[in-house]
Amino acid sequence: MTAIIALSLFGISNLFLGFWFPRKTIQLVTLLFLVVSMALTVSDWNHELLWFGNMFRTTNTSINFSLIIQLAAFFVVAFSKAFGQDDEHTHPAEYYAIMLFSVVGAILMVSFDHMIVLFVGLEILSVAMYVLTGSDKRNLRSNEAAIKYFLMGSFTTGFLLFGITLVYGATRSFYISNIGTILTTTAPESMPSFLFIGVLLIIVGLLFKVSAAPFHFWTPDVYEGAPTIFTMFMSTIVKTASFAALFQLVSGIFGSLYTVWVLPVYFISMLTLVVGNISAVYQQSVKRMLAFSSISHAGYLILTVSSKQISTTSSILYYSLSYTLATVVAFAVLILVSEYQSARVEKPENFSSFEGLAKNNPGLALCFSISMLSLAGIPLTAGFWGKFFIFSDTFSRNIIYPVILAILMSAVGIYYYFKGIIAVYLKAGEIEKIEVPTLFKMALWACTLGTIILGIYPSLVKSVF
Amino acid sequence: MEISNIWYFLSALTLLSALMVIMSKNPIHSVLYLVFTFFCISAHYVLLNAQFLMAVNIIVYAGAIMVLFLFVIMMFDLKKNIPESKSSLTKLAGSVVAGTLLVILIAIVRKNNIPAPLGDKFNSQTGMVENLGQVLYGEFLLPFELVSILFFVAMVGAVLLGKREAGERNF
Amino acid sequence: MSLLLLIPLLPLIGFAINGLAYPKLSKSIAGIVGTIPPLVAFVISLQLFLNFDGQTQIIQLADWIKVADLSIPFAFQIDALSIMMLLVITGVGTLIHLYSMGYMAHDAGFGKFFSFLNLFIFFMLILVLGANFTVLFIGWEGVGLCSYLLIGFWNQKNSYGDAARKAFIMNRIGDLGFLVGIFLLIQEFGTTDYQTIFSTIKDGTEVGNIGLIAFCLFIGAMGKSAQIPLFTWLPDAMAGPTPVSALIHAATMVTAGIYMVIRANALFELSPEVLHFVGWIGLATALLGAAIGLFQNDIKKVLAYSTVSQLGYMFMGLGASAYTASFFHVMTHAFFKALLFLGAGSVIHAMSDEQDIRKMGGLKSKMPITYLTFLLGTIAISGIPPFAGFFSKDEILAALYHHDFAMWCLAILGSALTSFYMFRVFILTFWGDFRGTEKQAHHLHESPWSMTIPLIILAVFSVGGGLINLPHFAGGNEFLAHWLAPILPEPHEVGEVSFFSLEMGAPLVAAFLPAIFAIYYFGIQKAVPGNDESVQGIQKVIYRKFYIDEIYDFVFVRPIQVLSTFFAQVIDFLVIDLIVEGVGKTVKTASDEIRKAQTGNVGYYIFMMVLSIALILVLTLRSRIL
Repeated sequence: MTAIIALSLFGISNLFLGFWFPRKTIQLVTLLFLVVSMALTVSDWNHELLWFGNMFRTTNTSINFSLIIQLAAFFVVAFSKAFGQDDEHTHPAEYYAIMLFSVVGAILMVSFDHMIVLFVGLEILSVAMYVLTGSDKRNLRSNEAAIKYFLMGSFTTGFLLFGITLVYGATRSFYISNIGTILTTTAPESMPSFLFIGVLLIIVGLLFKVSAAPFHFWTPDVYEGAPTIFTMFMSTIVKTASFAALFQLVSGIFGSLYTVWVLPVYFISMLTLVVGNISAVYQQSVKRMLAFSSISHAGYLILTVSSKQISTTSSILYYSLSYTLATVVAFAVLILVSEYQSARVEKPENFSSFEGLAKNNPGLALCFSISMLSLAGIPLTAGFWGKFFIFSDTFSRNIIYPVILAILMSAVGIYYYFKGIIAVYLKAGEIEKIEVPTLFKMALWACTLGTIILGIYPSLVKSVF
Repeated sequence: MEISNIWYFLSALTLLSALMVIMSKNPIHSVLYLVFTFFCISAHYVLLNAQFLMAVNIIVYAGAIMVLFLFVIMMFDLKKNIPESKSSLTKLAGSVVAGTLLVILIAIVRKNNIPAPLGDKFNSQTGMVENLGQVLYGEFLLPFELVSILFFVAMVGAVLLGKREAGERNF
Repeated sequence: MSLLLLIPLLPLIGFAINGLAYPKLSKSIAGIVGTIPPLVAFVISLQLFLNFDGQTQIIQLADWIKVADLSIPFAFQIDALSIMMLLVITGVGTLIHLYSMGYMAHDAGFGKFFSFLNLFIFFMLILVLGANFTVLFIGWEGVGLCSYLLIGFWNQKNSYGDAARKAFIMNRIGDLGFLVGIFLLIQEFGTTDYQTIFSTIKDGTEVGNIGLIAFCLFIGAMGKSAQIPLFTWLPDAMAGPTPVSALIHAATMVTAGIYMVIRANALFELSPEVLHFVGWIGLATALLGAAIGLFQNDIKKVLAYSTVSQLGYMFMGLGASAYTASFFHVMTHAFFKALLFLGAGSVIHAMSDEQDIRKMGGLKSKMPITYLTFLLGTIAISGIPPFAGFFSKDEILAALYHHDFAMWCLAILGSALTSFYMFRVFILTFWGDFRGTEKQAHHLHESPWSMTIPLIILAVFSVGGGLINLPHFAGGNEFLAHWLAPILPEPHEVGEVSFFSLEMGAPLVAAFLPAIFAIYYFGIQKAVPGNDESVQGIQKVIYRKFYIDEIYDFVFVRPIQVLSTFFAQVIDFLVIDLIVEGVGKTVKTASDEIRKAQTGNVGYYIFMMVLSIALILVLTLRSRIL
C-alpha cells in the first residue's frame, strides 16, 4: 500500500532530479526507486487488509501481481538506455516520471476494491501510455499510433464506465466486496437485466486493454508505432495489470454469474488465439510479430479465467511472470539490433535485420533465442511450464475444445518464433559486434537466466504464488 | 408539468445537440453545439440534485475548455484541412451497427421494471459544496488524490509532447 | 549416505571435466582425471562393503515422476547385490581406466575416450544403484548409449559406425520388451519400486500377468546380455578399442541382464515356464557361441563369442534358479574375461593393431607378463581347478545336474568346446614361431607398466577369485551365498558332493581333455588354420557364424528396407507433402487473409468493436430480450 504513495512521490521527485542530474544518474535513481517500492510492497506480505476507506485491498495475490509489474518496470528502465545520447536536448526525467506514475496506476488495477479506483488506475495507466506512445515526436508512425490508441482507448473507456454505472445501478454499490456479496446472495432471475449488460461491458473494456480479439485491432499498429522501449512497457505492464483486474473481477465478484460471461469468454479466447497466431505467421517485422504474439498470449490467459481452479491464480501469475521475462528480452534485443541496423537498412525491425546476429554477438543471439523458445513454450524454459499449468488447469475444468485449439495454435506459434531463431543462427548476414552497456547486459542476462531457472525448477516461484 | 416530462425533453435536446456536433460540417458550429450539449447535461445535474456539479460543469467545460477549443480551431486554416468525408456506405454501416447496439440495449433494459428511487433518503443539500467536500475528503480520499496523479500525468505528458524538440531524435 | 552419492557423482564429474575440456587438457592430466573417479568410487564401495550390516537401505534423492497415483522417486538402494556389483564395476573399471592410459596413449581422442568411459561408469552405477525399475532403466539406456559411442569411437571407419548402430538397434529391440515389462509392472503393481513389488509378491497377493512381465523383462535382458536371437551385435562390438571390449562387452554392461534377472528373482520364481525358457535360451546361446568360437581367427572375435557363450552359462544357471552360482560366475567372468581381453589388447598393441592369430605366434619370449597372465586367464575360463572359473562354472553345472540332466550334458559339451578354443587361441598366439611381417617382429615389445599392472591384478583375481564362494567340499564356507542369501529365494538342497562322482568328474574331463588335445594339435603338431578360402563344409558354416547375420539380413533388414522405400516414396508424398505441408500452406494463406483485416483505419476498427459488442450482447442475453 505504501508503495503507491512512495511511487507517486518518487515520480514527482524524479521530475526535480531532472534539473540537476545527468541521464545516467536518473536511470539509476529510478531503478533504486523501484527497488524501494518493491520492498515496500513485500512488507505487506501476509497482511490481508483494506486501506483508505476500504477502497484498496492488499492480498498476497495482489502483492504478487504488483511485484511482477514492478519487476517488469525495473527491467524496462534498465533497458531504456537513458533515452538518447544528446545531453542538451533530451529530458529523460519526464519519461521516467511518467513510467513511475503509470506503475502506480497498474498497482491500483491489481489491488482495487472499489470500481472508481479501478477506473482511475486504468486511466492513469492509459493516459501515460498515450503520451509515451507518441513520444517519438518526429516519427509520423508514432504520432499516428498515439492518436489511434487514444481514440480507441477513450472509446472503450466509455464502455467500461457505462458498465460500471450499470452494475452500480443494479447493486447500488461501488465496493467490490459488496457487489460480490449482493451477486451471490441474489437469485439471477430477480436481478435487473442491465446488470448483465454492465458485467459484459466491464469485461469488454478490460479485454480491450489486454488486446483480445476482436478488440485487438489497435495492438499491432500501436505496438509498431510506439518507440520499442514503450512497446515493451505496454506489452508487459499494461497487459499484466489489465489481466489481473479482469481476472479478479471475472472469477471474483462475477464468479456467481458464470453462465452469463463464460460463453463469450470462451469464444473470445478462441478467436484471440486464432487471430493472434495466424496473423503473426505472415509478419515480416519482428516488432509486429511480437505484437501479434502478445495478442495470442492474451488468448492463452483468457482461457484460464474460466477455469476457476484453486491453482488458477498461481498459474496466471506464473504465466505472467514467464511471459514478462521473455518479452522483455525479445524487445531488448530488438532495440539493440534495430538501432544498429537503422542506418544500414530500410526496415531495421524486420526479421532480415537479425540475420547473422549469432556470428559476432553470440550472447545476444542466445538471449534472443531463449526468449523466443520461452514464448513458443519449449520445455526447459519458463514459457513451457506457463502453458502447461494453464492447459492443465483448463483441462481439469473439462474445457476440452478451447484447449485443443490452444495447443494447435501454440504449434503454429512455433513457426513464427523459430523464424527469429533461424534468422539469428542459420541465415548469413553481416552484423558487427554491437556495443551493449553494462547495465543493459546485466538485465538481459538476468532475464534470460530467470527464464531458464523457472523452466528447470518451476516450483521455485510456483510455491510462492 | 411532470418532472419526468422535463427529463424527456432535456434528454432529447441533449441527444439532438450531441448529434449535431458530429454532423455539422463547420467545426465552429460543432464546438458551439458541444457547448450547448454541456449546458443540457448541466441541466440534468440539476435534476439529479447536483447543483455544485452543474456549476462546475458550466464553468470548466462550457466556459474554459470550449473557449480554448474555439481559439484553436479558429487559428487553423480550415479551408485546406477539410477531411475527406467517408463514403455513404461506411456511414450507413456505422449507423446500422450503432443503431443495432442501441436497440439491443433498449430491448434488454425495457424488459425490466427498474427499481424506484429511494424517496425517503432525499436531501436537498446532497449536491452542495459542503456535502461534496465531506465525501471527497472523507470516503473518497483515495480516488480524489489519485485523480491528481492522473491530471499530473496528463500535464507532464502535454508538456512533453508539446515541447519543441531540438537536437537528434531520441528513439 | 553422502559418501554413497559420491560414487555415481564422481564419474559424472570426471565425464564433465574431460568432456568440456577436451581437447585442451593434456593427455596425462585427462588420464588422471578419468582414472581417479572410479578409483575413489571403488574405495568408497569397499568401505560400504566392509561396514555393511545386511540391512537394505533406500536413499530417496528426489521426487522424479508424479502422475496421478503413480509416483516414481529417484532413489538408490543399497543391499548385498548392489554392493557386490559396485565393487566389480568400480574395481574392474579402475583397472581398465589405468590400462587405457597406456593403450590409448597414441590416440588423438584420448580425452574424449576417458570422458565416455567415465560416463559409462556413471550410468552403470545408476543401473545397479537404482531402487526401482525406472531408475534401472535410465542406467540401462545410458550404458547402451555409451556402448554405442565407444564401439563407434574410431568413427573414421564406416564399418565401425555400422557395428555401433547394430549394437544400438539390437539393444533397442530388447529395450522395447523391457519397457513393456515396466509398463506392465506399473499396471499390475502401480509402482516400479523393487521393495514394494517384491513384498507384494511375498505377501502372496494375487497379481496377474507375472509370467508376461517376467518374459518381457527377459527380452530386455536378451538384448543387453547378447542372448539368442539378439546376440549378433556383441561380436561386431569388438570394433571398439580393446579396453572398451573388456569393460563394457565382457565385464560389466553385458552382465546387466543377469543382474536384472537376479534383482527380479521373485518375479521369475513365480513363473517357472519363463525360467525354463531362460535356461534353454542360455544353453542354446552357450553352445552356439562356443561352436562359432572354435574356428574364428580374430583374437577378439574368439573372446567375444566366448563371452556370448559364458553369458549363456549364466542364464542357464538362472534358469535352474541357481542365482548365487550365476552371480558368482558374473564376478569371476568379469575377472578372467577382462584379463583375457586386456591381454589380447596388449598383444594387439604389440603387434601394431594386428588381430589375426594366424599372423602371430611365438610371443611368449617377447611379452612374458602378458603371456603368463593370459595363460592364467585361459586356464581359469576353461574351468581347470583350482582357478576361479572352475568353481563358478562347476556350481552352475551342479545346479543343472539336479535341475535337468539333458541340459547338464549339453552344458558339459559346451564347456569342453570352451576349453578347446581357448587353448587354441592361446597356443596359436604365444607358442611356436612368429608368423607376422618383419616390421611387426621388429616392433614387438612388452607393454608399459600401466597396462601390465592391471593384467597382474586381474590374473591374481582370476586365480584366487574362487575363494569368495569356495564350496564346502573344498573347505570353503560359501561366503557369497551367505552374503546374497537375504535377497534370494531359499536354495534347493543339494546333497554333499563327492569329488569322484559323475557330477564332479565330467566337468573335469571336459576341461582337461580338449586342452590336452589343443596342446597336441596346435602346440606339438604346429597346425595353423588355413586361409579363408580353404575352409570347407561344416567348418565353413561355423566359420561364417552359421550365416546368422545373413539370415537376419534377409529376414528382417531387407523387408524393412523395402517398407521404408515404400514409406519414403508413397507415404511421404501423400502424408507429408500433401497433408502436413498443406496445413502449413493453409495457415500461411489464412494468415495473409486475416492480415488484411488490419487495415489501419480507426473507423473500421471501432466499427468492428461495436459490431462485436452487439453480437456478444445478443448472443449472451438473447433469452432476456425475447
